[in-house]
Amino acid sequence: MRMILSHPEKCVACHLCEGACSFRHENVFAPAKTRIWVFDFVEDQVYGAFTCFHCADAPCLANCPTYAIARDPQTGQVFVNDDKCIGCKMCLVACPFGVMGFHLDKHVAQNCDLCGGDPQCVKACVYGALEFAEVEPLPWEERMAQLETPATV
Amino acid sequence: MPYGWVGTVLRVDLTNGRVSREPLNLDWARQFLGGRGLGTKYLYEEIDPRCDPLGPENKVIFATGPLTGTYAPTGGRYMVLCKSPLTDAIACSNSGGYWGPELKFAGYDMVILEGKAPRPVYIWVYNDHVEIRDASHVWGKDTAQTEDILRSETDPQARVAGIGPAGENLCRVACVINDKGRAAGRSGVGAAMGAKNVKAIVVRGTGAVPVADPATFSQLVMESLQVINQAPVTAHALRGLGTASTVGFTNSVGILPTRNFQQGQFEQAQPITGQALAQTMLVRNKGCYSCPIGCARVTEIRGPSKWQGKGEGPEYETIFGLGSDCGVGDLAAVLYANYLCNLWAMDTISAGGTIATAMELAEKGYIPPEDLAELPFELKFGNADAVVGCLELMTFRKGKFGNLLAEGGYRLAEYYGHPELFMGVKKQDFAAYDPRGAKGMGLGYATSNRGACHLRGYTMSVEWFAPPNQRLDPFSIEGKAQAQKAFQDKAACEDSSGICTFTTFALPPDKLCALYNAATGENLSLEEWNLAGERIWTLERMFNLRAGLGRKDDTLPPRMLKEPLTGGAVQGQVVELEPMLDEYYRVRGWDEEGRPLPETLARLGLA
Repeated sequence: MRMILSHPEKCVACHLCEGACSFRHENVFAPAKTRIWVFDFVEDQVYGAFTCFHCADAPCLANCPTYAIARDPQTGQVFVNDDKCIGCKMCLVACPFGVMGFHLDKHVAQNCDLCGGDPQCVKACVYGALEFAEVEPLPWEERMAQLETPATV
Repeated sequence: MPYGWVGTVLRVDLTNGRVSREPLNLDWARQFLGGRGLGTKYLYEEIDPRCDPLGPENKVIFATGPLTGTYAPTGGRYMVLCKSPLTDAIACSNSGGYWGPELKFAGYDMVILEGKAPRPVYIWVYNDHVEIRDASHVWGKDTAQTEDILRSETDPQARVAGIGPAGENLCRVACVINDKGRAAGRSGVGAAMGAKNVKAIVVRGTGAVPVADPATFSQLVMESLQVINQAPVTAHALRGLGTASTVGFTNSVGILPTRNFQQGQFEQAQPITGQALAQTMLVRNKGCYSCPIGCARVTEIRGPSKWQGKGEGPEYETIFGLGSDCGVGDLAAVLYANYLCNLWAMDTISAGGTIATAMELAEKGYIPPEDLAELPFELKFGNADAVVGCLELMTFRKGKFGNLLAEGGYRLAEYYGHPELFMGVKKQDFAAYDPRGAKGMGLGYATSNRGACHLRGYTMSVEWFAPPNQRLDPFSIEGKAQAQKAFQDKAACEDSSGICTFTTFALPPDKLCALYNAATGENLSLEEWNLAGERIWTLERMFNLRAGLGRKDDTLPPRMLKEPLTGGAVQGQVVELEPMLDEYYRVRGWDEEGRPLPETLARLGLA
């Protein structure tokens, strides 16, 4: 499947991706409603942008009490069914990457939906810190191990 | 419902501890675009320009533009406006980082601080919840400690803009620092905030910024991002080397101000160039909110040196101010001094200029030995200990000399009877381009409404950086009045809209105007857009005229007018200011004293 991978070593913490995300989904600029996050710890020289990795063993999905989170059998994407979501935020707690979002007005969880195949965050990132890549979903622990491996430039 | 704006002004009456909200004056927003222009309008209407800048009758305005918080390229700026404690003229200092957008997400286009708090306070803004809180526990703390403490007692994701010890001690070159490393640097706005007993404004917002025409806006942004990502200045020079990329060039042609502008070339410049910085101490780039350029430097001091630390910076102007202007060619020392300025919240340009002035005064023997005897370092060019030592003296107003330094370079030089050794205009220090080698910049420094400043009219673009066939001869005075006016008006539009002036190294004004239109729903032609810039500039001028400034203040130090530069391509040049100034006033539609003529005011809708 295709998903958005991060190259945090190229990130400059400009948050353009967050603006692009909320603008696409909400038609306004509202980082509180974004589905991609820049974690900026400038003082520690650490920052990068991350969004849903659609994990093979998605903890969000496994922990949803109402079965609102499912995987699309065709695309492999993990998605939230708004009608079933009760806003309990179990998935936000379960996500090891902290990339499950929460829509404050609709009161439902939301994750990256890949903008239907044309992700705006990737378009907006002029630094190449985000990539719309053809990769298979990994179990979250493998993904985590990959992210923790220092980048070789 | 307004677009580009969130529609509300937050007014904080510090004297009575009251907070109120009012709708943004959209008529003014239309006339003055936003940010710098709109803030100036509020100041102009609400305060007496002759007031004491450190008194309760001054106001400090934090203003955003209509593009702040959007994903327009570099749409993350905010401005701090007040009557300047340094220049007694209008002050408007621009900063990036994340604070400005956060204010809009919290639902406010502008914050106006009025009066004076009876004791140190900070202001906590969380959407509709606004609170004036006691700040006695962070008073005296540096900006990094303050941000950590205030975040821990408000919200870990809150953004903090505030002052350090320099602002608290009313040091006239104090600035406002947000996000630990971004500065609303110039004109002593930190002292104005300190005089109000306000340590910081802490903001967290979960709201939204709407734009009028989302489809057009997103198309314009995506196109602009590509343009910026390919233009040589934005994508290569600034991203690759930061603003420090300029050091090598200005030094080679001889306009890198050195030792208080006594020379235009610095023989130890190599270690403090952008290239050297990138190769030795640069950790990674950083961008402010929504920035596709990423010129900010995250650095740490590496290698054996008595100076150690890490942080953000240095910019080109910092390398000049704390480096070449003080004769210091030790990159580690410049970085260390830069980090101190971030922590204590001081303007690196004016702090450097003040120290350089002190060094020349000392070397010329104009400071009595008893005043120098109390100093724990030798005050002379090239001594990095003196730079760091002076920063500490001025921030904390230590001793007689520290108190003099804290008043800024002009007042220091005047005290010792040699104001001519102060290198600046309207009591504000020059930036890092010797005007003798770029005479348009000379006119720009002289006429800048906030005192000497390179960003108000950056004719360097056409005097040195343009391709040779589009260049204006930097040594000629011909056409400089027109060029300076055009650049000044252009910068006024850029600042006011809420984007960073560096964007315009890649984007032409019509693109910016189109972004503004798509965001706000206005339909300004390029001509009307430029006219708005001229209107903003003229209103700033009117503020200054009312504050008692005039032609006598539109001048340069005698060194620029009489002492030729030596060395480099600029050998033998001085600034022929008067003829340029006469022409400039004519081009602006002002009388010979620099007062706008009635027909000019009528044309601009300011009558």
